[in-house]
Amino acid sequence: MKNENTPISREKFMEELRRYQKGSVTRRHFLGVTGLGTAMAVMGGALPGLMPTRARAQDIGDRVVLATWPNYHDTANFDMFTEESGAYTQINVFGSNEEMLAKIQAGGSGWDVFVPTNYAVPTYVQADLIEPLDLSRIPNFDAEAFDPRFADAGTIDGIVYAVPKNWGTTGIAFNSDKTGGVVDSWKTFFDGARDQFDNRVMVHDYQLTTIGNALVYHGFSFNSVDPEELAQAEKLLIDVKPHLYAISSDYQPAMRNGDAWLTMCWTGDGKQMNVDMPEIGFALGKEGGEIWSDYYAIPKGAPHKDAAYALINYLLEPEVNAREVLAHGYPVADRRTNALLPEELLNDPILYPAAEALDVLEFGAAVTLTDPNRAELMARFKSA
Amino acid sequence: MAMTQTRARALLLTPAALWYAALLLLPLAVVLIFSFGERSAIGGYAPGFTLEQYANLPARFAAFRNTLTLAPVGTVAALLIAYPLAYFLAIKVTPRWKTMLLVLVIVPFWTSILIRSYAWVFLLGGHGLPALLAAVGLEDIRLLNTPFAVLVGIVYGYLPLMVFPIYVALEKLDLRLLEAAADLGTPPWRSFLQITLPLSMPGVLTGSMLVFILLMGEFLIPAILGGGKVFFVGNALVDLFLQSRNWAFGSAVAVALVIIMLITVAVYTRAVKRFGAGRDDVGIM
Amino acid sequence: MTETSCAHVSAKDTVAEFAGATKRFGAILAADRIDLSIRRGEFLSFLGPSGCGKTTALRMLAGFDGPSEGAILIDGQDVSAVPAHMRPVNMVFQHYALFPHMTVAQNVGYGLRQRRPRLSKSEIAQKTDKALATVRLAEFGTRRIWELSGGQQQRVALARAIINEPQILLLDEPMAALDAKLRGEMQRELLELQRSLNITFVLVTHDQEEALSMSDRICIMGKGRIIQVGSPQELYDRPRSRYVADFVGKANIVAGQIDGRQSGMAQAILGNGTTVILRDLPGDSRQTAEIAVRPEALSIVAQDLPLTEGIAAIPARVTHRTFLGDRIEYLLMADGVGQLQVNAPRQAGGALGEHKVGSLVHVLWPEGTGLVLADDT
Repeated sequence: MKNENTPISREKFMEELRRYQKGSVTRRHFLGVTGLGTAMAVMGGALPGLMPTRARAQDIGDRVVLATWPNYHDTANFDMFTEESGAYTQINVFGSNEEMLAKIQAGGSGWDVFVPTNYAVPTYVQADLIEPLDLSRIPNFDAEAFDPRFADAGTIDGIVYAVPKNWGTTGIAFNSDKTGGVVDSWKTFFDGARDQFDNRVMVHDYQLTTIGNALVYHGFSFNSVDPEELAQAEKLLIDVKPHLYAISSDYQPAMRNGDAWLTMCWTGDGKQMNVDMPEIGFALGKEGGEIWSDYYAIPKGAPHKDAAYALINYLLEPEVNAREVLAHGYPVADRRTNALLPEELLNDPILYPAAEALDVLEFGAAVTLTDPNRAELMARFKSA
Repeated sequence: MAMTQTRARALLLTPAALWYAALLLLPLAVVLIFSFGERSAIGGYAPGFTLEQYANLPARFAAFRNTLTLAPVGTVAALLIAYPLAYFLAIKVTPRWKTMLLVLVIVPFWTSILIRSYAWVFLLGGHGLPALLAAVGLEDIRLLNTPFAVLVGIVYGYLPLMVFPIYVALEKLDLRLLEAAADLGTPPWRSFLQITLPLSMPGVLTGSMLVFILLMGEFLIPAILGGGKVFFVGNALVDLFLQSRNWAFGSAVAVALVIIMLITVAVYTRAVKRFGAGRDDVGIM
Repeated sequence: MTETSCAHVSAKDTVAEFAGATKRFGAILAADRIDLSIRRGEFLSFLGPSGCGKTTALRMLAGFDGPSEGAILIDGQDVSAVPAHMRPVNMVFQHYALFPHMTVAQNVGYGLRQRRPRLSKSEIAQKTDKALATVRLAEFGTRRIWELSGGQQQRVALARAIINEPQILLLDEPMAALDAKLRGEMQRELLELQRSLNITFVLVTHDQEEALSMSDRICIMGKGRIIQVGSPQELYDRPRSRYVADFVGKANIVAGQIDGRQSGMAQAILGNGTTVILRDLPGDSRQTAEIAVRPEALSIVAQDLPLTEGIAAIPARVTHRTFLGDRIEYLLMADGVGQLQVNAPRQAGGALGEHKVGSLVHVLWPEGTGLVLADDT
């Protein structure tokens, strides 16, 4: 990697992105329904004894176990980490924060590093499942360099539990050939589903975003747990359900083949579809919606804590992080990393929407993760 | 002597008993205990003794209704397709072709049901069957993400489990019995009903039970081919354990599912037996 | 016995007929141009080794196999294309083929339940009881098939077949699975049944004794063809060919030079020069032929005893001696003739004497004993 410090050209970026897409049997949904996430050791893992071991200045052991989201890394970075440290990365992939939490709660996850989303961090702290971070062991984390909006959730009561990975939004992906133009409101999304877009709309199989955006439709907070407001959101969802194409977080295939015209969509998926099919656009709901930020954290009882710190530190190195961004297409909040990224990328309206559009968005609130009413509402919606 | 024998037998049975306890009873006991507990504030399990979870079961009524509708319908549909196939393989096919055709029935099983279900996503999706139907003038037919798609998926997925027990039962059928029936004045279709069908009932029963029980716990096919809109008890369980982490309620749902299965199996077995005993020309062995 | 059972048979009344019936299974010719009339009321046996076509003949009559060429007639009607379930014949299968999921009574009444229009339940029950009584199983109606012995199962199969009052009852090796003692009993019962029901019986068997003891007529088959048809006695006394002579009873078969023929008798010189007088084959003109003579038609005397004039005597040596209670079987080696078998009845006091292995004897061949065989085709 001779030129790893030089910014990468637009062509190179697109090439990287396409490479990612080809390998992208993305499937949060896929993983969600199979529960394969935990079982899926993507790299290494099976044959630790065969890995070359070298004398190290500091021995951190031969492995580190990372629990993360699908297609959320540049695997070449892990190879290089193994080269440098002697520890290889075993990856477990998950479909939702809830699922990740369920596995940690059940105990014996064996993970060293995981990537909770902002709203999940307080629950981990409350349940004493997360390790406070010793920042001296993560010199590459420079709090000054990060946009605090996307870094604050990692710190609770002055203690840093998690350092920022990437951020993004949950908006609307639309096929403009079919919708006749930009769809940038949840009003159009849910009303259209029952009208001109009948049987063409998808919502996530995920309570946070599906209920959240239904709340936003009614002008309520994305995070509301108010029974009155939830009741209205439920009414909307159940009313819309017969008209939906699917309730699924695996929306790319249906969008790409034209069966679905509209879907709730995460930043990276929106970007990926837009690159391949320019007619598929991505817009944020003008009434509001979700903005989110993922973090690196260490669970309590991590078996390879030294390696965990080493891996987090490595991944936060700006050059490494830039490669990560090029591979997965989600923005970072780190100025040092952004300085290494191509300008086209930084100006991309999907990855970096205008500040006004972001202003109406809300970060997910911790309460949504554990609120039993939202879970029950989702079950009623799905079984209706 | 007798003492030694008893001890030896006990010693020989111990591993089996331990396996039985460890693999079957222990998990079931855990689920049973959990089902009387509570959900802790942040999800997961909190110890307790309450019947609240059971009282809350009606909240998953729709899931049970969907499962208890599609599982029997799926079983019957699988049976209707599997029986002629098994009959053909066991009775009509020459031995040379038999092995090859049997392998063809098994081969799909070598691939994960997940992959095979995704294949149906493409077959039933907008560019698959509906496109062909549109070509012959049947516009805008919706197949994917409907209960019908789920039915297709489960019938397809569980077909081998239905075919094989029936095949084995029919393979054992003494074809001379059919000649005897014909000799005594029975036309072929009637000898099928009077001889072949009753004598293959053990296979039909085994296959139906296998498929039915597995369908009761199915969650993958409804999620993939139902587009998340067809919600089974299995899906409710996945969500309860992995999403809302309401383990106590999830356990209660699981216990209810097991009880419903036990009752259905008992009723079904008894019904088939009675059906067999009550008529003088139909029965099971 | 044969004479008496023939009495009720009217030769002109044909119940069924094979008319050039041929059956091919691929390249295999299972039945080759079979022509045969079955007389109403007779007991006819198809006899032959496995693969001779006897079962195929029976199955063509039952309707399980249609003839590839030729025709099958029942009551004068061509039934070649009539399926089994519409033919007025019933079969007792080799392994009985009883329905395992039915009781004895359900098995027996099965045929009656197939009648359309339906018979009343009481009529079925009544006829079933009668049929069960006929085969002496009146108490067994509610039993399950697997609870019965082999002989009882056989009788169930019989009852199940006769309850339909068929024109012809077909029996496919029905006694094959029974032990020897039971077989004898069953054979007698079958005969009694046939007489009381006055139904035509067609039996397939490879057991010549069974065929001989039960049949009015026997049809000997080989290689898909009919070799010879006749009463047991005809076949035993007048086998036309070595095949028949060999199959029906035991026969000594030796080569002979025919040097004279007159009014149905032939004079033949055996390989050792002995001249014997025997029955000729009508129309035969061969110089050399095979000659058959039954072991019990021959007798043995010690060589040192004087010979009687006019009885051919073949010098031989005893090689084996088998004591069989009512008779003794001797195997002998005669120079120039070959091996001979002689069955000597045991007589009080052993008038003809008994001969040890190794002793030199004369085998006596009375005039008019034995016959000239046709060449096997």
